[in-house]
Amino acid sequence: MKKGLPLLIAVGVLLAALVATRLVGNRYLYFAGYVIFQYVVLATAWNILGGYTGYVNFGTAGFFALGAYTATVLILAFKAPLPVQIVAGGLVSAVLGLGIGYLTLRLRGVFFSIATLALALVLQTFVMNWEYVGGAKGVSIIRPAAFPPFASYVEFLFFVMAALAVVSAMAAWWIENSWVGRGLAAIRDNEEAAECMGVPTLRLKLLATVVSGCFMGVAGAPFPYYVTLVEPVSAFSLDYAVNSLAMPMIGGTTTWIGPIVGAILLSTAQQVATVTISSELNLLIVGIVLVAFVLLAPQGIVGLVQRLAGRRRA
Amino acid sequence: MRKRPTFVAVVSAVIIALIGTGVAVPAEPIKLGFGMALTGALAGNGKAALLSMQMWAEDVNKKGGLLGRRVELVYYDDQTKPATIPAIYTKLLDVDKVDLIVSGYGTNVIAPLIPLAMERNLTVVGLFGMANNEKFNYGRYFQIMPVGPNPPVDWSRGFFEVASKQSPKPATIAIVGADAEYPHNAMAGARKNAEQYGLKVVYDNKYPPSTVDFTPIVRAIKATNPDVVYVASYPPDTAGMIFAAHEVGLAPKMFGGGMVGLQFAALQTKLGAKLNGVVNYETWVPEPTLSFPGINDFLKRYQAQAAKAGVDPLGYYIAPFAYAYAQVLGLAVEGTKSLDQKKIADYLHGREMDTIVGKVKFGPNGEWAKPRMLHVQFQNIEGNDLEQFKRPGKRVVLYPEEWKSGTLIYPYAKARK
Repeated sequence: MKKGLPLLIAVGVLLAALVATRLVGNRYLYFAGYVIFQYVVLATAWNILGGYTGYVNFGTAGFFALGAYTATVLILAFKAPLPVQIVAGGLVSAVLGLGIGYLTLRLRGVFFSIATLALALVLQTFVMNWEYVGGAKGVSIIRPAAFPPFASYVEFLFFVMAALAVVSAMAAWWIENSWVGRGLAAIRDNEEAAECMGVPTLRLKLLATVVSGCFMGVAGAPFPYYVTLVEPVSAFSLDYAVNSLAMPMIGGTTTWIGPIVGAILLSTAQQVATVTISSELNLLIVGIVLVAFVLLAPQGIVGLVQRLAGRRRA
Repeated sequence: MRKRPTFVAVVSAVIIALIGTGVAVPAEPIKLGFGMALTGALAGNGKAALLSMQMWAEDVNKKGGLLGRRVELVYYDDQTKPATIPAIYTKLLDVDKVDLIVSGYGTNVIAPLIPLAMERNLTVVGLFGMANNEKFNYGRYFQIMPVGPNPPVDWSRGFFEVASKQSPKPATIAIVGADAEYPHNAMAGARKNAEQYGLKVVYDNKYPPSTVDFTPIVRAIKATNPDVVYVASYPPDTAGMIFAAHEVGLAPKMFGGGMVGLQFAALQTKLGAKLNGVVNYETWVPEPTLSFPGINDFLKRYQAQAAKAGVDPLGYYIAPFAYAYAQVLGLAVEGTKSLDQKKIADYLHGREMDTIVGKVKFGPNGEWAKPRMLHVQFQNIEGNDLEQFKRPGKRVVLYPEEWKSGTLIYPYAKARK
């Protein structure tokens, strides 16, 4: 891919999001669009560690909630603006990623996954007993007033999440096409061999957990203003862990575009299901699609397309 | 192609004829929009609430609708997830163009709805949310749950009021509950009431929501020898606590308070005679003092459909109130002859309304102006037969005085026999 193309796509997506807020009067689309972009960020973040490096993280909800609760604390204590919340949410989650990386990256396979799952549970228990942020009952947040050029604060949230999706995708693209990505791929294929070849495996894995955790926290930071109620059950919902894992699997884990394709397809299907079939079929949809892809197209949609294109060329 | 002019002419003639003869073209229905827990943790009650609302819409439409327009319910499954609420209600308002909204079931799905209603100056009636308006103080929010103006404290006030009137008067209390949203609220209120009624707290602990063995907890409570045990629990814990209390032989003077689940047939039939003596909160029970106009007919129709709908076969706790919260909104629309949100809110604030759950009057913060959370004692339960719970005398009302239908058997051990 030409070097300037991702930048052009990124600018194009941002401009499209901005124009959409000027042209689309239906606020529902902003709410639905926000969720789709949120999953683009989460799936991309998950893929940096899970897809490129091969370390399956079940603790997405923990990092996401940490971003959400960091933002909540900043709102309650200082009424901090959203950009500050996002930066702080990302930093706190990145630090957690670093800490967890140090503690758990010596564990491999299922043990690492269990450790990340436990992290989310520990964090949830802590938050449930932290009265400042409402404890188990949660805390209500009031959105600030809208400001130009946005007609409502939700439009602004939609635009911000679109921007975050673009930034996360660009970060993933850079990782994939740099020495970092090649190092991570070497770790995924054979960690011992990579180590012997001089790849700084621990440093790279730590970098992956930091970047992955940071983007998960960033995705969670606008959550308080989106839902206006931050409570542990929602913030630590299993949906985030399941979706952020399933979306790259469906889209394809080896490229930066895979998680984006998976996130857009799956979260759009879920949004449509919520207001049509109207049930908890959301997770069922994820399950069925995931099983179908694992069986029929283990490399995801991107892998399938590449394979078909390869055949045609041959 | 030649047929088209003939078809157009016929249609035009029919329209002209209809206008000429004064036949009314049906008006657009009034759309009432809401999200409801049809899946997820609160789906059992959400489905029962939906059935009640459908019955209300049917009743209203049989009488000619509201303002001469048919009522149509537009609803989506909120999956008991607060995060779904902003999108669902925005779709209801912007895409489905509903005229009126009410909340789904439960505190956590009402909380994100209020800011949304505030942004658009909408009137919203809530279904069983605890102290949702405490922070917002939104003038167009109303809550059908009969807790009263100070929800966290009024929730358990009856329990302490009853305890304070006994002889010998209890002096100590154990407060226990799950480490989750509702128990936290209930326990905070119980602590305030304990202080107000002069009870010394000898045990105050939470347990993880995933707890399955309650014996150690009950043993720890027993070791402190409290006169009263206040329990704030979710259904599985409620059953666990009662079984453990019987196993360990916990016999305080009063036991119960804020146990969720005892309002429903499933736990009532499961626990059967083990319920004797337990004092707990309720919203409605089949006692003669609570025989409001229309409620028995409603319950008869509800119970006939309950099995098919897969909901609580008794329907005493949530179903009449789900009917009533739509009912008050309907009364306001008819009373103001308008769908204007301000006029509707003003109407709901200003007067006492007759509903199937009795007279409803909202206070300034949208909660019931006067608390009517019932505290009842299970008495004379025999075996696990469901039918007995439909008869009076099985859950006698102890509080409030105005609705009292029996006397507390005191202490708890005496009622357990």
